[in-house]
Amino acid sequence: MNTASRKPSASRKPALSSFSKLSTPAILIVVLIAVDFFAWWLNIPFVEDIFTVGTIYLVMVLGFQLFMGNSGILNWSYAGYIAIGAFASAILSMEPVDKLKYIPVMYPFLVNLHMPFPLALLLGALFSALVAAIIAWPLMRLTDSVGAITQFALLIVINVILSQWQEVTNGPRTFTLGQSRTTSLGVALFVAVLAIIVVFWFKESSLGIKLRASRDDRYAARSSGINIIATRYLAYISSAFIGAIGGGLYSHYIVSITAAAFYMNQVFVLLTMLVIGGSMSVSGAFFGTVLITLAQQGLRQVEMYLTVHGYIDASGTTEIALGILMILFLMVLPNGVTGGREVALRIRSRVREKPKEDSVETV
Amino acid sequence: MVVNTTHDTIKTDPILNVQSIDVAYGSVRVLHEVSLQVFAGELVSICGINGAGKSTTLKTIAGVLKPQSGQIVFRGQDITGKNAEKTHRLGIALVPEGREIFPSLTVAENLRIGAFGRYDAKRYAQDLEDIFELFPILKERYNQAGGLLSGGEQQMLAIARALVSRPDLLMMDEPSLGLAPAMVDLIFELIETLKNRGITILLVEQNAERALKIADRAYLLSTGYIKFAGRPEDMSETIDITSVYLGDGEGGF
Repeated sequence: MNTASRKPSASRKPALSSFSKLSTPAILIVVLIAVDFFAWWLNIPFVEDIFTVGTIYLVMVLGFQLFMGNSGILNWSYAGYIAIGAFASAILSMEPVDKLKYIPVMYPFLVNLHMPFPLALLLGALFSALVAAIIAWPLMRLTDSVGAITQFALLIVINVILSQWQEVTNGPRTFTLGQSRTTSLGVALFVAVLAIIVVFWFKESSLGIKLRASRDDRYAARSSGINIIATRYLAYISSAFIGAIGGGLYSHYIVSITAAAFYMNQVFVLLTMLVIGGSMSVSGAFFGTVLITLAQQGLRQVEMYLTVHGYIDASGTTEIALGILMILFLMVLPNGVTGGREVALRIRSRVREKPKEDSVETV
Repeated sequence: MVVNTTHDTIKTDPILNVQSIDVAYGSVRVLHEVSLQVFAGELVSICGINGAGKSTTLKTIAGVLKPQSGQIVFRGQDITGKNAEKTHRLGIALVPEGREIFPSLTVAENLRIGAFGRYDAKRYAQDLEDIFELFPILKERYNQAGGLLSGGEQQMLAIARALVSRPDLLMMDEPSLGLAPAMVDLIFELIETLKNRGITILLVEQNAERALKIADRAYLLSTGYIKFAGRPEDMSETIDITSVYLGDGEGGF
């Protein structure tokens, strides 16, 4: 395994590249299955819990990468779509009895909705994507800081609606699903494998190439006949869909949620994962999630140890440490640990001599 | 002036007909009633010093800028004020100044962008073989990021990207700018090859001497006015080019 897929390639035939391209999702999937299987095999609830949440976060980070990594637009509102997916799928899958018990103020027509978990997950995500489709079109014109600020404002709007609309989300109070966990490590793993395939496929698709071209140079992209707004729009909706799937998995694992759980803190964690991994590649999203999940747990242990043993009250240290880590990465390795490249296998062929006397640049 | 708006253009009609366009950046007027024609299969060169309005002319035709008045007719269709996406789809490909390739995309992806809008995979594969014949270096670097190519290679990639869209009109803005002399030779040879293949080209160059040698017809732009239109040989006879260029000629300073 190496991360040097963009170093001078020794291959002359483009056919070889399709092998090394396909090797990227294969490697990621194998690593993910190995890691999750190991966690399951250890059979320690605490470890399994960490890896289940980590795998769910991977789904969210992959969806985040799909839009942000390929378009270069910081998408704050992403946590809003995760939240919509989390609540929508929970409302759809809960038993009516439980709804009456835990959320007595809920609209009657919502109380009577009930369907199996996989369908609820899917429909919840579709609903979130629909919300994105209704809101997003005018926002897709905005780039850079204006775009980021607008997305930030949108996150606030979604959060306020979710945290105040008692008849749907139980308002600021905890929304309890009242059932045992539906999401298991296996379910999360299955969805994450699908997400890796979809996000990687998207990046290599014509839509993904167009989106990346618009990130590189908006004006050149337009004069190459690319409709930037439509391209961004479709990617944004797809991103919201995957995020909402992640949200649905999350709510069916944690079992009691509030709108506050899907707010700036969460965007910040997702952003840290994506930036430290390398936002421009799917491999970056993957390894960033793995690294930050482990770092978070490690730091939390230290934090607890220090606090419990009474040395200092260290609560909150984890967040500070992650913040500092992110700043350091942005300064030293702005493209993350993967450098924006994909992991890939390459077949070695003869190394090419450099016939380069013709390519000297003067200015 | 009579404009032919029918689609069945007769052979003698120009493929591109620009009629007295005025273009301004804010309140600064850069083009004054510029008119020019390009006929199918021709290599037409626009010459002039920095700031004469050459790039502005190309950008206006490509739809990046909008003219304040005048009309642009392409293959019998009025394209005045149409944006760059639309003109590209109609068959106008612009190789912009400064080699605007997509640096983080691979050479393969850069080329595919040129081919979007046509879904003929078989013909694309053929075109790709063609491109590799013209630019062997692009085959070697097929899977490398465009940003890792040298300046000359990037220029080739930019031209190749324009070619895979099979344009009816290929516009090039200063393709030799900032390249090493050996690379400049290569680019001009390439332009001649393209011309011999029957591709219609509108070329903007500061390197007037080289451009005029290969052009069928030429226009001289000076501070936004067309000062000359005709055969390149006649240009040097009618106009004292050195006085227009103030000593520029070899591209040196």
